[in-house]
Amino acid sequence: MKQLHTFHEVYDSQKAFRLILEGMANPGRKLSLGETAGKLYGKSPEMLAAAMTLCDSSVSFCCLGDQELPEQIRLHTHSPQFPANEADFLFITDPSQMEAAFSQAKCGTLENPHASATLFIRDTGPETEKLRLSGPGIKDSLECFVSETARRALSLRDAQNYEYPQGVDLVLIKPDGTFFCVPRLVRKEG
Amino acid sequence: MNDNYNYAFLDEGSKREIRRSILKAVAIPGYQVPFGSRELPIGRGWGTGGIQLTLSLIGPADTLKVIDQGSDESVNAVNIKKFVKMCTGVPCTTRTQDATLIQTRHRVPEIPMRNDQILVLQVPIPEPLRIVEPKEEVTKRMHAEMDYAPIWLQLYESLVKYGKVTISSEYPCAVEDRYIMNPSPIPKFDNPKLHQAQCLYLFGAGREKKIYAIPPYTKVVSLAFDDVPFEKESFAGKKCRLCGSTDTYLDEIFDSATGERYYQCSDTSYCKEVRSR
Repeated sequence: MKQLHTFHEVYDSQKAFRLILEGMANPGRKLSLGETAGKLYGKSPEMLAAAMTLCDSSVSFCCLGDQELPEQIRLHTHSPQFPANEADFLFITDPSQMEAAFSQAKCGTLENPHASATLFIRDTGPETEKLRLSGPGIKDSLECFVSETARRALSLRDAQNYEYPQGVDLVLIKPDGTFFCVPRLVRKEG
Repeated sequence: MNDNYNYAFLDEGSKREIRRSILKAVAIPGYQVPFGSRELPIGRGWGTGGIQLTLSLIGPADTLKVIDQGSDESVNAVNIKKFVKMCTGVPCTTRTQDATLIQTRHRVPEIPMRNDQILVLQVPIPEPLRIVEPKEEVTKRMHAEMDYAPIWLQLYESLVKYGKVTISSEYPCAVEDRYIMNPSPIPKFDNPKLHQAQCLYLFGAGREKKIYAIPPYTKVVSLAFDDVPFEKESFAGKKCRLCGSTDTYLDEIFDSATGERYYQCSDTSYCKEVRSR
């Protein structure tokens, strides 16, 4: 029998979840899913690690970019693939599709803001853009260097003018598994 | 560790659902995220919300502390510790500084918590508006519309009737100027500890099936009027009979035989530590 991966459903998903939680609670903090992603396969193991941690048959996903990833997520999580405007999790491996993703992603309602999408975006390119973030999880404000993709993602998010508590939560993740999170209430200054 | 159970008791599907709800709760501070509360080998109302959060968070790298009304040795705390230890094998501690995960009922530890620690609070009634509105459908709409007039009115009525706000625990607070939240039945002495804290606070209500959160460095303001500021309990002139602390939350103990009143720290681990210094 061929073994596709060594990702442990119990221990690795717990480890990955705690890292994503730390990222969500401390926006802008750079963390790494590299260890768990290293146990997976394909062109986007970091995305697959996140999907295997959070997705199952009770939530839906949508992939924009990688052609193989949807099949891998379906195989390992039994999560149904939905169009971008209905999906709970969006895995965007092609940054050129970010605009379409943001314009379609679910942002919840004022009564049920949790019925919104979480976007995992492949973050590529050198970290040359200076960014200042503020909001819950950040003491005063946080200055960090991010890629052009990350800056664009935040600009596209802001262009949607979501009325809080509606919105989407972002996880910007590099192919090596390094990631940082930007929940909906975190603002980009300047 | 008992291998007859899945690691951390809950099945992986349940953990994933709770984990997704936790992430939403952190992203929307103060908002109550509904979740499918699971059956546990403990009655609802005995900390099942907190336990489900703890079980979904915990991993082999964690060290657990459980407190009940500040005490590490009460029945509820001891049984929860035994249960979690049985199905995870994680080490337990009574020292706040050594724990990575702390589950608590009705108190926030006296020692300020660090950014690498998570405090899980057990919540009986998560809805701060329940006292003014019995229907869930209506309170949900009130939160959506930020219609918080009735709760302000309740505070005002208390002032008019008694000359002060008489709520001693579950004192409502506003999170990031948006949601009014019930901080669980912690004494209002602990409310200021929620504001701009270093640690992540997670609240779980098993019976009411709600999870909510306060991320680190979040604005949490206890409700008060401009001319009547928020006041926490005062223990002026009193001190712990065991360690002599004057700046902690004190329990009052009444000796019916002598008619004497004693005070001692509610946080037993902190009290012990002060005595051992």
